[in-house]
Amino acid sequence: MNRIEERLKELKTENKKAFITYMTAGLPDMEGTKALIKAQEEAGTDIIELGIPFSDPVADGPVIQDASYKSICKGTNLRKVFQMMEEIRNDGVKMPVIFMMYYNTILHYGIEAFAAKCKEAGVDGLIIPDLPFEEQEDLQTALDKEDAAILIQLVSPVSKDRIAKILEHARGFVYCVSSMGVTGQAGTFHKEIISYLTNVKKVSKIPVMMGFGIRTPKDIEPMKDIIDGAIVGSHFIRLLEENNYDIKAAKEYCRSFKRDL
Amino acid sequence: MNSKAYYGKFGGQFVAESLMNTLEELDEAFETAIKDPEFLEEYHYYLKQYVGRETPLYYAERLSEKYGTKIYLKREDLNHTGAHKINNVIGQILLAKRMGKKKVIAETGAGQHGVATATGAALFDMECSVYMGEEDMKRQALNVMRMEMLGAKVVSVRSGSNTLKDATNEAIRTWAKTAEDTFYVIGSAVGPYPYPKMVKEFQSVISQEAKKQFYEVEKRQPDVVMACVGGGSNSIGMFADFIEEKGVELIGVEAAGKGIETGEHASAMAEGKPGTLHGMKSYLLQDEDGNIKLAHSISAGLDYPGVGPEHAYLKDTKRAAYVSITDTEAMDALMELCKLEGIIPAIESAHAVAYAIKKAKEMNMDQSMIVCLSGRGDKDVHTIADYLAGKGYLN
Repeated sequence: MNRIEERLKELKTENKKAFITYMTAGLPDMEGTKALIKAQEEAGTDIIELGIPFSDPVADGPVIQDASYKSICKGTNLRKVFQMMEEIRNDGVKMPVIFMMYYNTILHYGIEAFAAKCKEAGVDGLIIPDLPFEEQEDLQTALDKEDAAILIQLVSPVSKDRIAKILEHARGFVYCVSSMGVTGQAGTFHKEIISYLTNVKKVSKIPVMMGFGIRTPKDIEPMKDIIDGAIVGSHFIRLLEENNYDIKAAKEYCRSFKRDL
Repeated sequence: MNSKAYYGKFGGQFVAESLMNTLEELDEAFETAIKDPEFLEEYHYYLKQYVGRETPLYYAERLSEKYGTKIYLKREDLNHTGAHKINNVIGQILLAKRMGKKKVIAETGAGQHGVATATGAALFDMECSVYMGEEDMKRQALNVMRMEMLGAKVVSVRSGSNTLKDATNEAIRTWAKTAEDTFYVIGSAVGPYPYPKMVKEFQSVISQEAKKQFYEVEKRQPDVVMACVGGGSNSIGMFADFIEEKGVELIGVEAAGKGIETGEHASAMAEGKPGTLHGMKSYLLQDEDGNIKLAHSISAGLDYPGVGPEHAYLKDTKRAAYVSITDTEAMDALMELCKLEGIIPAIESAHAVAYAIKKAKEMNMDQSMIVCLSGRGDKDVHTIADYLAGKGYLN
């Protein structure tokens, strides 16, 4: 069974919610990324989204844009992140890891080679914000053939009647984008957030996670009973930067969020 | 896969899920509008009375004589605001109005599309924001002022390379946030479907007129039709009505910058590597990690790392040929056109003129070509002055 599905099944049995973080791969450097993943596994983060930096991150706000840019300047690329993944799996890291990346990076690597490499390197899922449902066929076929990573489906507050179609064969979890637009709009969610999440939850056979603009457990208090977990991205990156990528600070944040969730 | 969004393997809709319904609404509104006689009448009314169409198809007598073939220039430089960009803006803003949108946004590099959009927004009383790279705002301060005079807000973009590519990223981000009440006016034949189709539709007036005008004089089809290609809006408009005329050779001229071999160029076709950017799959300039490379051209309007998906398709099916012209060749052609014909072309358009001069060498006086003169060079005088100073032309 895929590590994401396995972890989410455990959480369901324990009646707990998932805590998911996003961090840009290659910051502060590749060794630092490894240390942060290991620390988060200890601190109780359930799933990590690892951002593969891209030159033109159109789905991201200023915080993740900056992080991407810095990471590219440090020489981070997909090949090196795959290598890092193989190393942490060899070191015994068991937690699910999702790559958050833009489609061009995959096309450039080669779709089939990419799918095979995901499996080999222990990548469990993919989030590709510029690959909507209608454009997924090529990649989905390659992933299915290898029985490789799960392509995580995203829905937005304006997806409306597209939701059923998108979720029909979705695996892992549904990523509910909390607002219109890009990542990192601190604490401001779409005006119809509750009815939107309720609707997704009703349609979905798999767990429903909410992301974009979440900083603290308090931010999601109003919708806590609807969703199965929360994803923190821009805020976590800012916290890492402010604390100079201090492992202890990262651990403390993850531990306390998970506890209060 | 939405097969109508594709030109062969190019095109598509590589955007965030939150824009998919927006694109569908846009597609429906567009398809209905272009079949509605009332909409078309209004569009053509503004093209005639406001833009100043039709534009002449001018027989460039001295240029033709010197290079030994008949060269006709399609004078898009004589449009209101100085380039072909306004054709598309009028179409898209009328569509926005029809869809009940009150705000428009646009991206701009050199400022021509920004000025055209600001103009259209003023004309139809819409709120307008134009995204422009900080670097481009410095280089094109005059166009920034023109946009502001026309009532638009120019938003300075400080991310990545601070140029057109990044301005487009920022416009897409803003659109994803505000699509519920905002219309994104894309200026080039790029972006997610239906934008490439829409831009072609509203620019095809160029070839509709040219075909008729040419026939009136020559009583046949031209041998060659040529235009410069950045994203590809004037060229797709210039090609549109000739694509089905198999005897007409279509040539798109990209910017070779300092030379393809130097790596400092804007010729997405020359490198021939497909990828996805700004909502479309097409040929793109990319580095070894799949990041988008910066384009280079002396002409800001051709300074774009991608190309419209239909052009990629026309290249692959060999219906059109794509060539490139260096900064130096373009500037030489610009000066040549000034001196021989008394026309100061935009540096973008000078790329097409430069290749026309090369192509003429394999043609004769019984043959003819149409070159799209997409814009005028007024906006470029500072660049031209700097170039001439560096090259010593004025000595």
